[in-house]
Amino acid sequence: MTSVFESTAPENSQPDVVEAAMRPFRPASRQFWIAIALLTLVVVIGIAAWIYQLQNGMGVAGYTDRSFWSIYISDVVAIIGVSYGGAVVSAILLLTGASWRAPLVRLSEGMALVTVMVGALLVIPHLGRPDRLINMVLHANTASPVFWDMVAIIIYTFATLVFFLLPLVPDTATLLDSHPDELGRGRRFLFRFISRGWVGSTEQRRVLHSAMIVVAIVIIPLAVSVHSVLAWAFALVSRPGWHESIWAPYFVIAALYSGVALVILVAAGFRRGYHLEAFITTMHFVRLGFIMAALGAVYVYLTFADLLPSAYVGEAGPNEVIYGTLFGGVAVWFWLFVVAGTILPIVLIALPWTRNIWGIVIAAVLVVIAMWIKRLIMVIETSGYSRLTNSFGDLFQFTWVSAAVTLSAVAAIPLLLMLLFRVVPLLSIAEVQHLTGDTDDPVAEVSSPGKASHGRAAGTAGAVILLMVALGAVGATQAQPAYAASDPAVLRAGAADPTVNVTAVADGLENTLTATVTSSGKPVEGALVSFYESTTMFAPGDNLVPLGAVQTDATGTAEVTYEAAVTGPRTISATYLPTVLGDPVTGTATLDVTEAVSHYAPPPPRALASVGRTLVFSLFGLVIIVFIILIAQVVRVRRACRPALNESVEHVSLT
Amino acid sequence: MTSLSGSGKRHGPRVDLGLTPVGAEANPLGAEVNLGITPAGEELDMSRRKLLRGLGLAGVAAAGGALGLVAYRDEAQAAPVEGASGQDHQWCRVVDLRACKGERKCVSACQERHGLPPEQTWMRTLSWHDETGEEFFMPVMCQMCQNPPCLNVCPVSATTKTEQGVILVDQDLCIGSRACMAACPYEARYFNWNAPAPTNRMPEPSPNTPEFPTNQIGTVGKCVLCADRIPYSNDLPACVEACPRGAHFIGDLVTDIAVNGQSTVKLSTFLREGNAVRFKEELGTNPRCYYIPGNGQTVGGPLEGVQ
Repeated sequence: MTSVFESTAPENSQPDVVEAAMRPFRPASRQFWIAIALLTLVVVIGIAAWIYQLQNGMGVAGYTDRSFWSIYISDVVAIIGVSYGGAVVSAILLLTGASWRAPLVRLSEGMALVTVMVGALLVIPHLGRPDRLINMVLHANTASPVFWDMVAIIIYTFATLVFFLLPLVPDTATLLDSHPDELGRGRRFLFRFISRGWVGSTEQRRVLHSAMIVVAIVIIPLAVSVHSVLAWAFALVSRPGWHESIWAPYFVIAALYSGVALVILVAAGFRRGYHLEAFITTMHFVRLGFIMAALGAVYVYLTFADLLPSAYVGEAGPNEVIYGTLFGGVAVWFWLFVVAGTILPIVLIALPWTRNIWGIVIAAVLVVIAMWIKRLIMVIETSGYSRLTNSFGDLFQFTWVSAAVTLSAVAAIPLLLMLLFRVVPLLSIAEVQHLTGDTDDPVAEVSSPGKASHGRAAGTAGAVILLMVALGAVGATQAQPAYAASDPAVLRAGAADPTVNVTAVADGLENTLTATVTSSGKPVEGALVSFYESTTMFAPGDNLVPLGAVQTDATGTAEVTYEAAVTGPRTISATYLPTVLGDPVTGTATLDVTEAVSHYAPPPPRALASVGRTLVFSLFGLVIIVFIILIAQVVRVRRACRPALNESVEHVSLT
Repeated sequence: MTSLSGSGKRHGPRVDLGLTPVGAEANPLGAEVNLGITPAGEELDMSRRKLLRGLGLAGVAAAGGALGLVAYRDEAQAAPVEGASGQDHQWCRVVDLRACKGERKCVSACQERHGLPPEQTWMRTLSWHDETGEEFFMPVMCQMCQNPPCLNVCPVSATTKTEQGVILVDQDLCIGSRACMAACPYEARYFNWNAPAPTNRMPEPSPNTPEFPTNQIGTVGKCVLCADRIPYSNDLPACVEACPRGAHFIGDLVTDIAVNGQSTVKLSTFLREGNAVRFKEELGTNPRCYYIPGNGQTVGGPLEGVQ
């Protein structure tokens, strides 16, 4: 049986990666369990706070109508954001062939998986009615950015899971072979399931590597899409401060920046906890630090680019919000972010004296906290700005509930990571062995099929980005013509003992109403006659709608023509007020309107309405394609293992 | 947790209200309110409900309109109007700012009718001062946009536009994401943040339809244009009825008529002669609320808010 696994057998080379990977599987120290207990306690308190919030309403978390979105949505953005750190280290560095990443791969992928799940779960306290979450599927509105948030998060989580699981196949096989007895029953069962059929043949390693390349290519646009759609949940409304075209890339860079920072922290933590100094060296921290500093510089640039156009133009709403950021309600936090979140970290990494593990870890801590603050002020400030009064209401105030829920999510990340790496190896054994020259070079064996899929998936990635960008398009506005001024008022006259006779004649659209005013048999000239039509709208009886007032001519006749808005029979009346204090004299007639034209015309559809519909269909197609690509990679690896599986079964039965 | 379950199961309220016999245990109206629905109407509604189920997403919004105002006529004096649809009525509001003196009777009438807590004002009256110190007022409520930003962003289609142009929220669908609150340029939406949600609804208990919603904890509420009252009842929307100066009008663009409880006007003429404007026209929301400017107010939003 050993012969089958020959290529992955442990060597006597410098640091023993298999030995290091086994460390978390041995009985843990007391500190480990104390840490687990404390973190669990924080998580449990947070869940209790959420239940309290469920019972008493979101008001107990500090929410008001002027902070309708605040801490929880910022937590979602910040925590899903850091998961992008995993994608950087794993996917981008994999594609660029940066092999130094090898010891960090598993840690950062695990972090990506844990943070995206914790971040997605934080949507639940954000909702007023989490019990109806299923409506997102049953009554989905595909025009809503929040719907696409859900789709993007689900597919990204799936891709992260695939990306995490595929490289476990060779590693679990190695550990099963080298330390079968130390693994324990649970892990042995899991590892056998994951690695079944893996013999480490050249063909298997070629397929696995190729599949990983495809997943890496897919996961980058997926991560971009998640953070873009999160940004569009804000940017697709017309609120000042949020309605910014730059927000999607701004969120993506923010996610990369804080994500790399968290990779540094996770690497530092596990390096210390499991004594991985031989694998994760100062070099790793310095390189990650450089990446973080570069992303930080981009973020500073985008922050400036976000603020400048609105500040320069001076439109009331955006100006007030920017003023509030720089000098107003959240200015303290903004400048704290500028100093602690951008200047200090970059300086710490730039200066050779502080460019060591401690300096870089401190920089990363600053970045993670400051980026959370930045997201919070971006959310609460605009939310606090009333667009009716053009002024700020009371900004969001923390309560113990929202603080406890947030801390619980923060604690859940290390907790889940510590537990996760009690179950699966925390080092990518195969990659580290390859790095230290323990095995043959799998990359060199990647043949043209792998490269072809490279190109195919890159095309898919491009299409994802293009379509996502197109989603940002909004419809054109429609102008309403101004109303022209109209007829002047008419004079009025008086006479005694008059009568009013009305005739109403419909002639096509033109309805002619004629009133003849007579007094003692003689026509009254200059009498002001008001015409009305009756309606049953808004009242149980007849409701009189004025149609105009006209003075009678020499024959005592007043005439108006009008176009009716609706057809049907109605009563027409003409009223004449003989003297100021006298009773009005009214004559009526019935009119059957046969032709009518309403002033109402339905507004034309928005110019870009059909584009949105097409986009939704394309996106659904794309989502399906991405799922198929991801599942296909898993299937590829499984199929590559299948012939060996039969073979190894025979081996077992023979021995 | 009990407060959460207070919403009860989803009845398909627009429809079921008409179907449940008066006095049946599921009838939320009890015996006090005569629904005035004939058996023929029930059959019609039944087939409509089947249709509704089959229609899917787009259908809910479109068909909701027909059902919304036809099947729901809760007040006893309802006059039968055949086949009212979007072609028969398109409701709108007119606020004559010349008449408004800031008494806020519309606000309190609305609060009372819908049982709203003090911080939740579906109707509110803004006021501000000009350079001479004179005070001006502007009642603002849901503008019933025909291109409603709130409707587009709702992830669960809880916000719907009826065929007659009224924007309503289905309290039994809303998941409380508050995306609509973010989207509304008129700040016309309010969230039920705290338990217990107000329950003093009239008629009591509330029928809980989109036209006359109950307040549930964790959902979004807004002005419903008292859609349960138009046009078939004796009553006008609460704010229209309450204004002693006739500043509030309810109107119908199709029949070209608007009333303020005191007088009736030909809508198109009234708007033209009053040089009516719409709030935040530049946003393309196409609101169904017209303001007749007067007394020198600027209707672009006050510079300093003194709610």
